[in-house]
Amino acid sequence: MLRKLLLVGTALAATGVQPALAQSDTAVTIVLNEEVDLMEPCMATRSNIGRVIMQNISETLTELDVRGDAGLMPRLAESWEDMGDGTWRFHLREGVTFSDGSAFDAADVQHSFERAFSDQISCETPRYFAGMELSFNVVDDHTIDITSDPAQPILPLLMTLVTMVPSETPVEFVREPVGTGPYVLSEWNVGQNITLTRRDDYWGEAPEVTEATYVVRSESAVRAAMVEAGEADIAPTVSEIEGRTADKNFAYPNSETLYLRLDHSMEPLSDIRVREALNLAIDREAFVGTLLPQGTEPAVAMVPPTTLGWNDEIEVWDYNPDRARELLEEARADGVDVDQQIQIVGRTNNYPNATEVYEAIQAMLTDVGFNVDLQMYEVAEFENIYSKPFPEDRLPQLVGAMHDNSRGDPVFSMFFKYHTDGTQSGLSDPRIDSLIEEATAASGEEREALWSELFAYIHDEAIVDVLLFHMVGFARVDEGIEWTPTIATNSQLQLSEISFN
Amino acid sequence: MIQLIRQRTLASFLSLVGLIVLVFFLSRLTGDPTNLFLPIDATQEMKDQFRALHGYDDPILEQFGRYVWDVLHLDFGDSVRRARPAIGVVLEAFTWTLRLALITMTLVTISAIIVGSLAAFRAGGFFDRFASLLSLIGASAPDFWIAIVAIVIFAVTLGWVPTSGTGSVWHWILPVGVLFIRPFGLIVQVVRGSMITALSSAYVKTARAKGVKNTPIIFVHTLRNAMLPVITVMGDQAAALLNGAVIVETIFGFPGVGKLMIDSILQRDFNVVLAAIMVTAIAIFIMNLLIDMAYAALDPRIRY
Repeated sequence: MLRKLLLVGTALAATGVQPALAQSDTAVTIVLNEEVDLMEPCMATRSNIGRVIMQNISETLTELDVRGDAGLMPRLAESWEDMGDGTWRFHLREGVTFSDGSAFDAADVQHSFERAFSDQISCETPRYFAGMELSFNVVDDHTIDITSDPAQPILPLLMTLVTMVPSETPVEFVREPVGTGPYVLSEWNVGQNITLTRRDDYWGEAPEVTEATYVVRSESAVRAAMVEAGEADIAPTVSEIEGRTADKNFAYPNSETLYLRLDHSMEPLSDIRVREALNLAIDREAFVGTLLPQGTEPAVAMVPPTTLGWNDEIEVWDYNPDRARELLEEARADGVDVDQQIQIVGRTNNYPNATEVYEAIQAMLTDVGFNVDLQMYEVAEFENIYSKPFPEDRLPQLVGAMHDNSRGDPVFSMFFKYHTDGTQSGLSDPRIDSLIEEATAASGEEREALWSELFAYIHDEAIVDVLLFHMVGFARVDEGIEWTPTIATNSQLQLSEISFN
Repeated sequence: MIQLIRQRTLASFLSLVGLIVLVFFLSRLTGDPTNLFLPIDATQEMKDQFRALHGYDDPILEQFGRYVWDVLHLDFGDSVRRARPAIGVVLEAFTWTLRLALITMTLVTISAIIVGSLAAFRAGGFFDRFASLLSLIGASAPDFWIAIVAIVIFAVTLGWVPTSGTGSVWHWILPVGVLFIRPFGLIVQVVRGSMITALSSAYVKTARAKGVKNTPIIFVHTLRNAMLPVITVMGDQAAALLNGAVIVETIFGFPGVGKLMIDSILQRDFNVVLAAIMVTAIAIFIMNLLIDMAYAALDPRIRY
């Protein structure tokens, strides 16, 4: 029996049953962690979809340089200019064709917007243009004026979020996206794999990768094993354990920021001394390299350091439990109900060790005299607590949440998180409101200075929340592949940036 | 027999209707998929528009009436998440699950019967102890652990089989192997117990006295009588597999119905949840019917 088994084993090995996909030298396999449920260009800002189609199949007018410091770069628009009165003129690249053969022109730009904003389809795009009325004027085939009311100084930056589709695209979710990008969807076996093939008639430089196959494995150990066994070339997200052990791994800041959102409408969180005590009571350094991976950075702002207006002068809160106790006593002496139970709310599996992190915070807060309860929720229930309208009969809450902004400008974060009308804002501060409004309407250096001022005010003066960490991600890459993750790897993975050793 | 089928069909249909009503209302009690589908900072306008587009803003009874009417016309609605017909999504996944369940249960049945019978024949002997130990380990080992360890050993270190996924016959080896272990362990125990009882009965003694050889005693005379409890347990195990092998599907990236159901519940993709429940319920109904018929075939004393 044993001999037979051995024979079968040898036979298997000898026939080269190697799964190692018979690929050509220029094909890659990428193993993702989330199912790709749609292949719809107007949903490309959603990370699971964007990683496959953003700039690979569908392109945008402009592109943010996340590898260097070139800032906003041309893509389908060669240049743009501010015409005044809220109008921006975009000069489109000539000689660009969609994968269906049709030429790309200004009418396609207009259709792409109108389709994404239609009420017949639930695209993600409109969220970035909330409160703006857009109008279009096709000047000629390769020139289009886009007017925003009120004027939008960063309209060219917002163009990095709108993917272009041909005028013929119906106003419903498509399953075979047509784009101007260097790749075309050639195969989609739902639940099994997606294959993109390089186009011969792409307008730009031909990328080295000729074919990319995407597979999905929700288990991190399996993703890492696939790269190790040679079945996959890139696993953009693996867990810390797998990310550390092999040779070609990367730890990279992934643009996620972890923080505790505080509810200012209730005692004791309405008192600034209490909020300062919360910040002083948490030993941020103690988490790094223990519950959270090495490379995790204590945070002083809601956005990562590569964002416009980043303020170098803000310093991370010291760990000072004695001072925290004093502040609580001062507040108590003034009649603030510091013994009121407060509640930390977390989302299960939001990130590795999420529950343990909140338990540690709970212990640290209890240590200085807070009365803290901890509740972990599934995503749907968590969103109900995190976003307005907040539940009526709640305790004063510290909501542990992660926020992702790799888009280069704080505007994508600050209104939602800090403005009185922001969906996830737990506060109302007229100074913050006006700074956000001014910065949103400003451009250039003035914009930068206003954001910078806002960061300092939020962190040092108003102490509105407990900013915790800028998180890191881990990727595993096969040795034959030249590719490094970036701050935007969560949301896009451009195949043209991959080369071979 | 015809009457049995008719009765069972009617009873199953009624329980299916009850199940659908229950799931329809319970799942909607948790809210609707709007906040999960749209980004967290979506505007109220986007949310209202999404609800209107999918009919979540209608009164729940109206939504139910519309659903029932559509189902009567064999329209099971679209998957919100995938923007295509829910029944298509479910049937695609279910074919994978069905194949996985069929292959696994066939292998389990054949091997468990052989091993269990041989163990029972010399109860307390070396083979019996060895088989019992193995089957107990199998019945109690956590399958997520076995799956990961199997990947590390057979795919990464030895390189004999692919780690995960689908595509060739080799891709089936690890998932089937992992799924095999637990029902195998359980059924070996049941076969063994049932065979020991049967082997001690009077007709076996008579057969032995007549000089019948061991092999026909086990596989011809006793096995048939010992099979009834085994079939009951097998039915249970097969039903569990038809509901989807969530852990194995998740780890091996196998596009089966178990993972689909869990994902759809988490995403509140109601139409997919309902379609998946209908399809698996019907499959389990058919299987139970087959089991009842197998009882009658094995034991002529059972008549319906």
